[in-house]
Amino acid sequence: MMSEFDVIVVGGGPAGTSAAIRLAQNKVNVLLVDRADPPGSKNVSGGVLWGNDLGKIIPDWEKIIPVERLITRKGTTFLTKDSAISLDFSSRKFLTNRTGYSVLRVKMDLALAKKAKEEGAMVIGGVTVDSVARKDGKIIGIEQDGDTITSDTVILAEGANPRVAIDSGLRKPIGDRDVAIGVKQIYKIPEDKINERFNLSGNEGFAGEYVLGYLPDGVEAGGFLYTNKNTLSVGVVVSPSHLRNYGQMHSYDIMEEFVQHPSIARLVEGGRLEEYSAHLVVEGGLSSVPKLYGDGYMIAGDAAGFSFSNGLVIQGMNYAIASGIAAADTFIEAKEKGNYTAKALSDYQKKLEESYVLKDLRTFKGIENSTWSSMAHRTIPDILERFLFRLNLEDGLPKKHILELLLRSVSESGHNKTSLALEAYRMMRRM
Amino acid sequence: MEIEEKLGVLNYKTDKSYAHITIDPVICETCPDRFCTFACPAHCYTVIDNKINFKYEDCVECGTCFFACSHGSVKWTNPKGGHGIKYKYG
Repeated sequence: MMSEFDVIVVGGGPAGTSAAIRLAQNKVNVLLVDRADPPGSKNVSGGVLWGNDLGKIIPDWEKIIPVERLITRKGTTFLTKDSAISLDFSSRKFLTNRTGYSVLRVKMDLALAKKAKEEGAMVIGGVTVDSVARKDGKIIGIEQDGDTITSDTVILAEGANPRVAIDSGLRKPIGDRDVAIGVKQIYKIPEDKINERFNLSGNEGFAGEYVLGYLPDGVEAGGFLYTNKNTLSVGVVVSPSHLRNYGQMHSYDIMEEFVQHPSIARLVEGGRLEEYSAHLVVEGGLSSVPKLYGDGYMIAGDAAGFSFSNGLVIQGMNYAIASGIAAADTFIEAKEKGNYTAKALSDYQKKLEESYVLKDLRTFKGIENSTWSSMAHRTIPDILERFLFRLNLEDGLPKKHILELLLRSVSESGHNKTSLALEAYRMMRRM
Repeated sequence: MEIEEKLGVLNYKTDKSYAHITIDPVICETCPDRFCTFACPAHCYTVIDNKINFKYEDCVECGTCFFACSHGSVKWTNPKGGHGIKYKYG
């Protein structure tokens, strides 16, 4: 029996829409379903789209996708109760060597879904897939509300909470080590005020990552603050295992702790809260990546665990796009032979191994042990604060060499110099 | 700003006939940690009269409670037919 579609794509985020666009551009009969109506209106991410992967399927993507601001200033900041210690990098070089744009996903993903439709894909919102459909062990489509819709291949791109893949036994359920809890707030602030506060002009943008080094002992969270045209995306990423062990703090309280920190409060001051959202953030690295393909299916984007953060650089949407395109290309080649078995689709894995997606995950294997560590969240902020405070304090006493001040700060923090140096070295190697 | 006030700015298309997440009150009754009440970013899990009270209507469908509960009480499905949270920005 002929399938109704060549491909059904489950999920209208960057992975799913990129796959659908690429497939439709190659005359593949593709159905894209998203459980939100309109498609994409349940999607959330921190909000910076790095890289140029979209350029492969939409050459003029910077005009088609409603991008907010071009990131020209990047900040990495350790926050302690009283202090903020930043590495702030702004460069005109980013105007010619574009690194990324801030984006708002509901607008961006709707534009991508529209583009898929224009290219000839069938796009339907408000469709909740219950499971994949199987016949003789092969995946032959999807089950939805008692109906089976058939296709030669299913691309699962349902995001960080992949119900269909989990319920169909195609990946193990999410655990504390696979994800972090992301909470985000959007504040409306006039464009000129944003430019003034963040030292930007025109459509230049700021992307800041933070370590919240002032939470109760043992609770670990990162923060982010990205400038959009006339809104700010502000959020926290909370480690579930630490929150669980602590057992006394709410994830939503950490969001509030972040926006009330003196150095953040002044940036969001006067802003009207436009939206509150929460979403899982894929954090598990290579050990969270499931089997990526099988007879009649491939898994892409967050659903496949494709995300990476070393605290300084956070990536996800670009991996989603790259993996969606790789899945589409794999299908296009499989279609030539009319073979959609696991063997034929294994090329997907090969494509990803050759691309930066799996290369990055391999290079930074175990990075989560550094990004989620008391070293990063407690020790480093504490020592840096002691050191910089002392360095900048004019107390009428004779000056000391920087190294001496640093060593003194280390011993005051209660750490052994040798073991700390060793730990820091291990951490640097992972990053 | 309180969490209730934050949730107040959100748009939902609530499915009155289908709760996409359900809990098993028997399991919750004797739960030693009640981590759901701390983990859920949408304040859907609260303790009332020493019992877990769960309201799916405020759920933003993040999936946290499904893995936060290590006792097998939470049954998680996606809302159907476009119901549930509807973001403006994302």
